[in-house]
Amino acid sequence: MVIKPHYKPGSDPSLVFYGSAIYDFLSPFRKAQNQWAARYIVVIFSIIIRSAIGFGAYSGANTPPLYGDFEAQRHWIEITLHLPLKDWYWYDLQYWGLDYPPLTAYHSLLLGKLGNLMNPAWFELDSSRGNESIDLKSFMRFTVILSEVLIYIPAVFRFTRWNGKQIKQQPIDQTIVALAILFQPSLMLIDHGHFQYNSVMLGFTLLSIVHLLYDNYMLASIFFVLSLGFKQMSLHYSPIIFFYLLGRCIDFQTPSSSGATLISRINFLRLMLIGISTIVTFIVLFAPLIIFGDFQNFLQSIYRIFPFQRGIFEDKVANFWCFSNIFIKYRTFLSQEKLQLYSLILTLTGFLPAGILILINPKKSLLPWALAACAMSFFLFSFQVHEKTILIPLLPISLLYSTKNNDIIAMISWINNIALFSLWPLLKKDGLALQYGASFLLSNWLMGNLSFLTPNFLPKFLTPGPSISLVSEKNKKRHGLPSNWFWDLVILSSYIGIGTIHILDFYIIPPSRYPDIWVLANISLSFGCFGLFWLWIYYKLFTLRKVTY
Amino acid sequence: MSEIRNRNKNKSKSKPSTLIEEEFVEKLPTTQTRNFSLWNIWVASTILKVLLFDTYHSTDFDVHRNWLAITNKLPIKDWYIESTSQWTLDYPPIFAYFEWILSQFVPQVVKDDGCLDIVVKGEYGLPTIVFQRSSVIITEILLFAVLQTYINLSSNKTFPFIVASSIVLSPGLLIVDHIHFQYNGMLFGLLIAIIVSSIHGKNYLLAFLFAILLCFKHIFLYLAPAIFVYLLRSEVLDVSQSNLIKFIHWGKLLKLGGIVLTVFIISFAPFIYYNVIPNVLTRLFPFSRGLTHAYWAPNVWAIYSFLDKFLTLSLQFPYFNTLISKFFHFTPLIEIIQERLNLLENTGTRGLVQDVSFVILPDITPKITFLLTLFYDILSILPILLQPNFKRFVGGLTLNAYASFLFGWHVHEKAIMLIIFPFTFLVNERRLLNCFLVLVGSGYVSLFPLLPNQNLIKGLYTFIWFIIYSLSFMEVSKQKTSTRNRIFLFDRVALIYLIGLIPMVLFVFFLNIFKDKFEILQKFEFLSLMIYSVYCGIGVISSWIGLSWLYFFDDSIWLDDNEAE
Repeated sequence: MVIKPHYKPGSDPSLVFYGSAIYDFLSPFRKAQNQWAARYIVVIFSIIIRSAIGFGAYSGANTPPLYGDFEAQRHWIEITLHLPLKDWYWYDLQYWGLDYPPLTAYHSLLLGKLGNLMNPAWFELDSSRGNESIDLKSFMRFTVILSEVLIYIPAVFRFTRWNGKQIKQQPIDQTIVALAILFQPSLMLIDHGHFQYNSVMLGFTLLSIVHLLYDNYMLASIFFVLSLGFKQMSLHYSPIIFFYLLGRCIDFQTPSSSGATLISRINFLRLMLIGISTIVTFIVLFAPLIIFGDFQNFLQSIYRIFPFQRGIFEDKVANFWCFSNIFIKYRTFLSQEKLQLYSLILTLTGFLPAGILILINPKKSLLPWALAACAMSFFLFSFQVHEKTILIPLLPISLLYSTKNNDIIAMISWINNIALFSLWPLLKKDGLALQYGASFLLSNWLMGNLSFLTPNFLPKFLTPGPSISLVSEKNKKRHGLPSNWFWDLVILSSYIGIGTIHILDFYIIPPSRYPDIWVLANISLSFGCFGLFWLWIYYKLFTLRKVTY
Repeated sequence: MSEIRNRNKNKSKSKPSTLIEEEFVEKLPTTQTRNFSLWNIWVASTILKVLLFDTYHSTDFDVHRNWLAITNKLPIKDWYIESTSQWTLDYPPIFAYFEWILSQFVPQVVKDDGCLDIVVKGEYGLPTIVFQRSSVIITEILLFAVLQTYINLSSNKTFPFIVASSIVLSPGLLIVDHIHFQYNGMLFGLLIAIIVSSIHGKNYLLAFLFAILLCFKHIFLYLAPAIFVYLLRSEVLDVSQSNLIKFIHWGKLLKLGGIVLTVFIISFAPFIYYNVIPNVLTRLFPFSRGLTHAYWAPNVWAIYSFLDKFLTLSLQFPYFNTLISKFFHFTPLIEIIQERLNLLENTGTRGLVQDVSFVILPDITPKITFLLTLFYDILSILPILLQPNFKRFVGGLTLNAYASFLFGWHVHEKAIMLIIFPFTFLVNERRLLNCFLVLVGSGYVSLFPLLPNQNLIKGLYTFIWFIIYSLSFMEVSKQKTSTRNRIFLFDRVALIYLIGLIPMVLFVFFLNIFKDKFEILQKFEFLSLMIYSVYCGIGVISSWIGLSWLYFFDDSIWLDDNEAE
């Protein structure tokens, strides 16, 4: 059984997820001719876990008269299916009026057609409100999985394959990285537990990123517009996409001594094509609103999509405004407009450095970093953020799993856990505590973050770490901490804080003066971690700016 | 998997792809041998099972809850007499003790939830569900422990690991234990302990474990012939003796008998003391049930019922009737069929019917099923008498399970695992692999109708399990004799059959989906169950024929590995 080691100790192991449970499970399929099996196993296993999470409750289950996000999505299917297009953005706005861009509406219409084949009662106009039958729930859960399988999952695989090739990863490792991205717990819980279609928007964005990597600028802009047309939240990525595309059209790399003027540096054809494809996609998306309605209808949709009259943040969210609002009550001395202005300024200062950096260095490997920095700035400083918005920065952050650097993986795993923790108040309200715990354990276990736990209390024959993969002693246990003492300290203390808050939350009823005290503790801790992580991303972005690709 | 690689190297026709693989594997940094531990699998599957806590569960959940209540609240003499709920205690005593022990751990929150109330119909919430579901997960650790022991005790660990992981990840256990709700994981842990002790020649342990297993759940009585003959032949009889008295080791016989009897007496003692044995026995062996279960298990009787249904329908067409009566003079007339139909309001397809009567074909009595089962049981244990080795023993166990499943009275489709699990230990032989794949494909798919609303999870889980383990077993199963002994036609047909399972499942799925939309489909409600049991029944029966053929007519694959060398 002992195979002679061809591996020099001390050299960088090519497989970062060595010794993790995922590697262990997939290593029997590492042979080139079995790669297809490994990929299908990952996809099917992730569908299984998603549908298992889907057996749990959803937002607003059993809470008439308004219910929650599940009912909102069902209601949109109902109105798009039964009403003419010109009424979509006008119908009974008090009851979950449509407030997403038109692609969501078209998507709902499509799902409505599908559902109508099975049971028309699910989406009967008005009379189906509050329908919570088990069949309907299964159908709706299925549509989320279907949308994700068609858009998000292929995009993840394309990304990991492209990036894996660049950093010379083994094919099995690319599959493992894809699994790590797919098992990001926050997205699983919000989409398949709480109930939303974020993976469609994220999937379009990711497809756009993939096409940027393949230098298909027109396709990339089309997909990004589709993403915007599905949910306006992907605007949080737009500065980087914009600056990257611009950077690709203007050559800043040639030294200025060569005498090239600004005009001669611009690739006009490319710029024009990008512009045209963006505008045309927008027109195609919004044209039906005008053709089948009128211009007023279009304005109404814009008005519904960007409701500026809402507050600076919704509920309790781990961003700068909500956190500092604990100490400074902004609303007492600042008007809504002033607040919006300040938050705009802060957000701009937050993402502009990343934008300018990507404009000057439009390198492909910097894209996830810059997107993460930008989306995180939006999350931390912009207005009208809610806790689910964390999914936007989490997408580019999770893409960073595709690396050979163990420190980066440790950081990403950590921030994924913090993000999950920041969703706890929401998930608790939804009745998804069990799913929260299970998916936290599952994702961390699979990635080997918990393998340090096993040796102490288990008998020898159950030896922890990998069971069937051949792994050298050195790589048996991937420790989940980066090699920097500062981050070790931060990460460990944040985990201790999380544990403490969970214990307090479980056992102690908050005093009546501060009913939200545990939620506030939650957002304070999460905000601290997000803020530090945001700085780390900026640090990495600046140190990495001279990369080769 | 270095053995696999070595074998691939030795293969005369090595494909170009293996070259790539070898280069690739050489690069792997390694100084270590593998552990072959089930720990990672346990963690991952437990998390999945926890996620499934709050999904559908069947009435079996309330059955076991009621047993918890009965054993906890009532004195031991009333356990088998209590009948407030229709879910009376009908498992043997050790299972009742098990429920009693479990009920001692019920926390106050769960008690308040109504877990321990003796009522007609249980009223309980999430706490009870969490408690009972966790108890299944915890008792299933026995299965993991036994299989881990099996792996650790084997010298070549690759095949045992595949066997072990295929059993613990079995879709059958997921569907029946963790969604439908039963405690099979623990019981099959004991059964596998029996198989493992036979590998290591621990026959007294084997007898002891089997006695305990019988007192847990008496369905395992079906396996008794093989176990009895194996113990008799390998421990008690001494064939080298010519003297008839010495032919039997009386001491060993007494020891074995003593062990079994002691277990039985101890477990039944309280009931003997309170003189309620007759009540216990009527609960354990209710003969009033029908030939087929609510869902038809995919066995011979399912095919038989289907044939009867088919003939009843088709013979009512005059032309067809006259045509058939030309060949078979005993074909009944249309009037007679309709008369019989009127007589029998309830027919086999109506589901929860206790008595099944056939319209055209002769009725089946319990006696016939018993005789058929007995016949095949005896047939399958004869080779053990001649060749009492591990493979023959496990083959005999498998065939016993097959006989009871295919011909038994009131068989549950869940009993398919009784066949699959012993069979798994045999498939390091390529020629058995096809039978095995057909069996697991049809057997696990036949469990699907147990769950009403988990289509995605049961379908995908079974599918991916099948892909993983057919690949794995394909790699480790070896071929001793040359390929000419293989029946290629059977391979192809088996493959087509297995692929056909997918459209079958999808067809039934769509049949059920469009039920709400098209009224007409509701008339054919029985159709979906019938398709399942007939299609899966064909698979189970043909895998049985395949195994029997190899068991009786091909000696080369039944030698123990060391005997063969």
